[in-house]
Amino acid sequence: MNKQYGYLFVDHRASPGIPEDMARKMGYDPGLVGEGKLFEGDVLHCAHCNQPYIKNHLRTRERYYCMGCSGDYICDMCNHERLQPGYVHLPFRKIKELVGAGDAVAVRLGSNPLLIPTK
Amino acid sequence: MTKRLFTWGGSFPSSAVGAGAGASNTGFMAMKGGSATAIVDLLEVACSGTGSASTVGCFAIRYSSTLGVTPTALAQPGTDGPMNSAGQAIASPVVVYFAAATAPVISNAVTLPTLQIGINTFGGIYRWNASPTQQWTTIGNAVSGGESVLWNSSTFPNASATATANAQMLYEPY
Repeated sequence: MNKQYGYLFVDHRASPGIPEDMARKMGYDPGLVGEGKLFEGDVLHCAHCNQPYIKNHLRTRERYYCMGCSGDYICDMCNHERLQPGYVHLPFRKIKELVGAGDAVAVRLGSNPLLIPTK
Repeated sequence: MTKRLFTWGGSFPSSAVGAGAGASNTGFMAMKGGSATAIVDLLEVACSGTGSASTVGCFAIRYSSTLGVTPTALAQPGTDGPMNSAGQAIASPVVVYFAAATAPVISNAVTLPTLQIGINTFGGIYRWNASPTQQWTTIGNAVSGGESVLWNSSTFPNASATATANAQMLYEPY
């Protein structure tokens, strides 16, 4: 079943748009954010680090999904972490539950999160 | 809880990650959890350029590595309120601000996420919506995850000019 994606809308229909070099650094296709262009796209979110990604429809490399997260998308960095020895599965959803319940304090988020238990 | 909208419009001077956001301790939009157990889901970010000449604003959102010190109480042109007029405030309200005695420092950790919101502020418009369960989330009220900052980045990818825009952050606190 397809997962629902986030939505991105970048409107330069009444604007000079973003120069090609800067657009590339931002992760945009320069042809879609130039003068007079409207860009709409899907946004993926990593289930482990919560980083949003503009979906690259031209990507041919494999994307990674975590079966421990019901098949949710995970980013390349988190997939690398997941394959390390001693890795403990700690998805972002779990971090929210632990901190929200007061069972832990988040010291650092991202692909290498650090929580301190409070109990 | 009730979804809320934090809006501000003005000048966003560019600044780098690892440094204070904006300039002169203003020119950014920051959102910090109200307590150590607070969770804030950022559901939408929209930004409309208000520049009078072509200027690329490299807006981005990241967590801060040093929290803003003594945030200035929100005042016009900033606003923050519930989208449901009957909505109730939570016990520890989210701290939203666009100026402080000392601006928050944007984290430069590569393991922390970045949400890019680049536009040409001469007529450009940006809107990002998270799908359910895929929100940008602030957890607690400490560094590297407890405070999110929208600013004009000179690091991604090297904005050097001050950009002017109106921006809004739609969020839901717990």
